Amino acid sequence: MMQNLPVLIIVTPLCSALLCLLLTLINKHFGRAVVVIATAASLVMSVIQLKSVIEDGVIHYAIGNYAPPFGIELVIDSLNALIIVVIALIGFMTVLFAENFGDKRPVVKGGANAILALLITGLLGMTSTGDMFNLYVFLEITSLSAYCLIALGGSKGVVSAYRYMLVGTVAATFYLLGIGILYSATGTLNMGDLATILNEGGFDEVMLVSMSFLIVAFGIKMALFPFHGWQPSAYTHAEPGTRPLITGVMGKIPALAMFRFFFCIYGTDFIYVRYLLVLLGIFSVLGMLYGSIMAMAQNDIRKMLAYSSVAQIGYISLGFAIGTPVALAGSFLHMMGHAFMKGGLFFCTGAIRYKFGTTDLNEFGRIYKKMPITSGLLVIASLSMIGIPPTAGFFSKWYLALGAAGRHEWIYIAVLVISSLLNAVYFFRLIEKVFIQSSKGLKDRWSKGELELPLTIILPVVVCFLAILGIGVFNVKLFDILMLTLEGVGL
Amino acid sequence: MLIVVITVPFIAFDVLPVIGDPESAPNTHVSDYYIEHAIDECNSPNMVTAVIVDYRAFDTMFETTVMFLAGIAVVLILANRPRKRIPSAGSYKRSMTVAGRAIYNTVNKDVMISAIEPVILVYAIYVLFHGEVSLGGGFQAGALIGMTYLLDTMAVRREKPLFRLNKFQSGAIAGLGPFIYAVTGIVSIIGGGLYLEYNKLPLDIHQAELHSIGITAVEVGVTIGVAGTIITILNALIERISFDDDND
Amino acid sequence: MMTTISAFLASKGIYLLTLILLSLGVAGIIVCNNYMKKLICMNIMQVAVIFFFLCFGQKDGGTIPVAVDGLVKAADYINPLPHGLMLTAIVVSLGTTGVGLSLLFRIMEKYGTIEEDDLIKREKKF
Repeated sequence: MMQNLPVLIIVTPLCSALLCLLLTLINKHFGRAVVVIATAASLVMSVIQLKSVIEDGVIHYAIGNYAPPFGIELVIDSLNALIIVVIALIGFMTVLFAENFGDKRPVVKGGANAILALLITGLLGMTSTGDMFNLYVFLEITSLSAYCLIALGGSKGVVSAYRYMLVGTVAATFYLLGIGILYSATGTLNMGDLATILNEGGFDEVMLVSMSFLIVAFGIKMALFPFHGWQPSAYTHAEPGTRPLITGVMGKIPALAMFRFFFCIYGTDFIYVRYLLVLLGIFSVLGMLYGSIMAMAQNDIRKMLAYSSVAQIGYISLGFAIGTPVALAGSFLHMMGHAFMKGGLFFCTGAIRYKFGTTDLNEFGRIYKKMPITSGLLVIASLSMIGIPPTAGFFSKWYLALGAAGRHEWIYIAVLVISSLLNAVYFFRLIEKVFIQSSKGLKDRWSKGELELPLTIILPVVVCFLAILGIGVFNVKLFDILMLTLEGVGL
Repeated sequence: MLIVVITVPFIAFDVLPVIGDPESAPNTHVSDYYIEHAIDECNSPNMVTAVIVDYRAFDTMFETTVMFLAGIAVVLILANRPRKRIPSAGSYKRSMTVAGRAIYNTVNKDVMISAIEPVILVYAIYVLFHGEVSLGGGFQAGALIGMTYLLDTMAVRREKPLFRLNKFQSGAIAGLGPFIYAVTGIVSIIGGGLYLEYNKLPLDIHQAELHSIGITAVEVGVTIGVAGTIITILNALIERISFDDDND
Repeated sequence: MMTTISAFLASKGIYLLTLILLSLGVAGIIVCNNYMKKLICMNIMQVAVIFFFLCFGQKDGGTIPVAVDGLVKAADYINPLPHGLMLTAIVVSLGTTGVGLSLLFRIMEKYGTIEEDDLIKREKKF
């Protein structure tokens, strides 16, 4: 059983999603219960897997017991395993959280739960697969379920979902073209095999052509700066219950795939990858500035956080652009930290919306009196976004700056600082609204029970709070785990 | 940026292999293995079937899941309550049986559909079970079954139809298909193998037969999934359509 | 000159056609104002990629990949892998089209138009 963990982590949420609608028709509580149990089981298994990866090294799992270039292979290294834990954790909490939002009809709710579980399945699959075409299938599962979840957020959500669908399909098609060219030159679809063949030399043009398709594809999917057009409205209008997963995790996993292609398959010895890294650096610098400035102009907290995501994706790709192992580790720390920060902030906005029915920043006056726990997370996540120790955001930026200094890229450090200051402007505005501004007399929509909110909302909020602090405090431990994989990768 | 956009296609033509060249990379490396070992290892003369449901079975599982996902996504997106009253499929039928009798209740449409349905269903079963040996397989069989249901919906009957699924029921059935697929993999784990390793299905028969059973189980799952999805999308769309010849 | 061109067309001409098809699709998505036309262009683009992949499956002197008695060499059959992969891509594009059409249904019901510039005007009113 132990050796089958990599595939069981993916298949358990999948099975629950497939059965969810049927069980909901039988009894309206069964479907949801199955999804909750399956995601919890997936979370437990992913933690066990992380432990075994740290102790025993990389896991190669050949599905159907066919040797890698012929069958499909799942590859779990310490980097993957960590990200899988993050996805499973946020996924589990989102499934709990989503209960309180959305359509009240039980059958529709069952279907929405099924799609949420499929989104988690797709993200887990994209992270763990070691086969290019398999990655495409998971990419499409992720995107299709995301289109649906965004469309469930109402009439504006439908328009955003349609636009995202058009752009996202262009991205998927470009990805398919890129791997088609790689396949035509090497005859294999397995990533490890591909890396071996490409490194024999003589494939420079192939790599250049496929790379130019792949950067557009991943750029669109992760909402990197010039390709981010779909992102703000999609994040703003997505179904409120599922927003933490969509905003927190969905943009990061294509970034991981991008890392796999450009650093693990092509390798930085390849001359065009150096040029690409410069291009990526320009994109991320512009994105960090643009996202922060646009975020300052917004009054709706959801839109503000969506634009801030453009900037935060810039940090992740900045780490890739610097390209040293330390900077890459900073990138991945930021990936995990930002998943909890942005997820946590959207848990908060969901909670405020659940209790007061508003998302306008100007109406947030003194809500800390009524919602102390949520305000606590709001503050800690905001501080982490700005980068104040001992939160997660500080240490990821620290490693990024360390990597940039190692390569004497002073411009990157300057932009990091400027962007952090801009972050401070709009996040302190948020904190001011919550604590200092006079109360606007919001009416409670929910005031039953002793807690400030139902348990299914409080639990994710508390977990995010602990995770942000935990990533900050244990950053050296996480850095060491990441270094097991990143040692020797990059410049 | 513009330079890249212009030059990339030209380089692309340079690197792409000559079409039909037996020595080109895609025609040699992995492909040879599939062609030479498909019959021994998978007991399937149809190499495309061997590739999609045996060597790369994991892909196909999620491909069927994409079908299911599209089905319930369509249902959920169209599940809002429309403000305007749009006649449901049932009311359309009722109005047709009363108002449209003079025009539509001709003998040949009803009889034709009743006569052709069983034939299509038998053909679907043939395509399903023969897909392993020759051309065909689960997707085609599922599409045929779905089309039978579509034809049946078009017929205007005097008596109540034997069975009708609503969109949620058919969605649930569509989910059962990929579930059968996934469970086949889990059964092979219970038998002591890796996921989707048909050799290790816990049955006491020859290896070749195990592969046949595994492939057939998977194809049945695909068939159910595809048929269910087509019926789901049909049901979801038909509720929203206001027909041109509506009375109101 | 002519021989070079005809040699090029004979060996790689189909790639040119798929490239034209792909460019048509991408340009259509960017240029068209009507959302339905954008969806159609999206489909054209996906079909172009499917053709592109199927080019790799072709092999001179090969027959369809269903085993025939007496033929055992790899050179006797065309490459089965691209066909298997493209089956997946076709199903995915079908799913995307289905979801896209249902989204268009909703847009049409809510806003009464699927022209992009009209839609942007009406979006601000809601």
